[in-house]
Amino acid sequence: MKTAQAGTLESMDCVVSLTEGAAGSGLAVTVGGASAARFGKAMEKRITETLQKLGARDLTVSVQDNGALDIVLEARVEAAWRRMTGGDGA
Amino acid sequence: MKLRRTMLYLPGNNPNMLLRGWLFGSDGLILDLEDAVSIHEKDSARILVSRILREGEFGSCEVTVRINGVDTEYWEKDLEAVVPFGIDGIRVPKVEGPETVKAVDEALTRIEKEAGLTVGRTKICCLLETAQGIWNAYDVAKASPRVDAICPGGEDLTADLRTQRSDEGTELEGPRRQVVLAARAAGIDAFDTVFPRINDDEGLIRETTFIKQLGFDGKSVIHPRQVPIIHSVFMPTEKEIDRARRIVAAAKEAAERGLGAVSVDGRMVDAPVVKRAQFTLTRAGFFEEVQ
Repeated sequence: MKTAQAGTLESMDCVVSLTEGAAGSGLAVTVGGASAARFGKAMEKRITETLQKLGARDLTVSVQDNGALDIVLEARVEAAWRRMTGGDGA
Repeated sequence: MKLRRTMLYLPGNNPNMLLRGWLFGSDGLILDLEDAVSIHEKDSARILVSRILREGEFGSCEVTVRINGVDTEYWEKDLEAVVPFGIDGIRVPKVEGPETVKAVDEALTRIEKEAGLTVGRTKICCLLETAQGIWNAYDVAKASPRVDAICPGGEDLTADLRTQRSDEGTELEGPRRQVVLAARAAGIDAFDTVFPRINDDEGLIRETTFIKQLGFDGKSVIHPRQVPIIHSVFMPTEKEIDRARRIVAAAKEAAERGLGAVSVDGRMVDAPVVKRAQFTLTRAGFFEEVQ
């Protein structure tokens, strides 16, 4: 089972963890941390949209947030996805 | 003439600094993909910096990115991730000769064309961090019209010179003079390296006063708290401002009367001196008087 992670727990950042899911399982997103209670739903939507644009299908996504703005959240999701798929290594 | 007194480094994998860095009042920003980013985070930092360049806020700061060196596997990917967003320039580390500049120039041209940008708009600041780089400073400065500044290294250069950094900076005095000389001969700017001791204000004032006297246009900055200190050193004195005002006024009057020559305090003043006086007023913040 493939996994990948990107980001940090520093202020205004987040850690995005991806785990490959079974074929047809879809995207299962959970958000925890600083903004989860107020903005969790909006963040889940943004994460899902970002992954769909990248062509991701079956993944379990866990995000630990420490005040990341949308652009940071998207960047960390993209970094984790590329690490998982090997699309753009360092 | 734009002010380039302070160019503040922002670590490329730190969202907090990347997003808030422009609020610290520096003249320019350097989003750093090189030394501030660990080898395992190069990919993640590149994506983050790219995203923030596309959607972030930078106020009136000059925006540049320090890419990884051309001796690494990262530098072209770095350029591809940041140049399409129309940044002002890139900083290239460890430049030792004109061939490095030419390779970067070619890559920039390709990326600018693909992105539909004006070819040549992305400037290059070369970091001269080895003895060889310092020796070749003029050739580097003239290697491409994109090169608009050169900057000596600090730690790397000191190591290459087989010495250590001292409080007085004796070991960097020669390279600094060489960089200013090469920059002026090539008609570009000279930036100084960073002052690493972030809590030593007196040391920073001393070093900035020294490099200003050598002729540097500004300094690279490692910590936001150094920005106002450097600006205060670069602020012209009352006497300098007064003289600059008289030169600019005399030049204006001569132009209105159709005279070529300008006389101030009984001495003839030529065009470069007028330009310098305008720059002094710009540095002092009197932008409207230069119009």
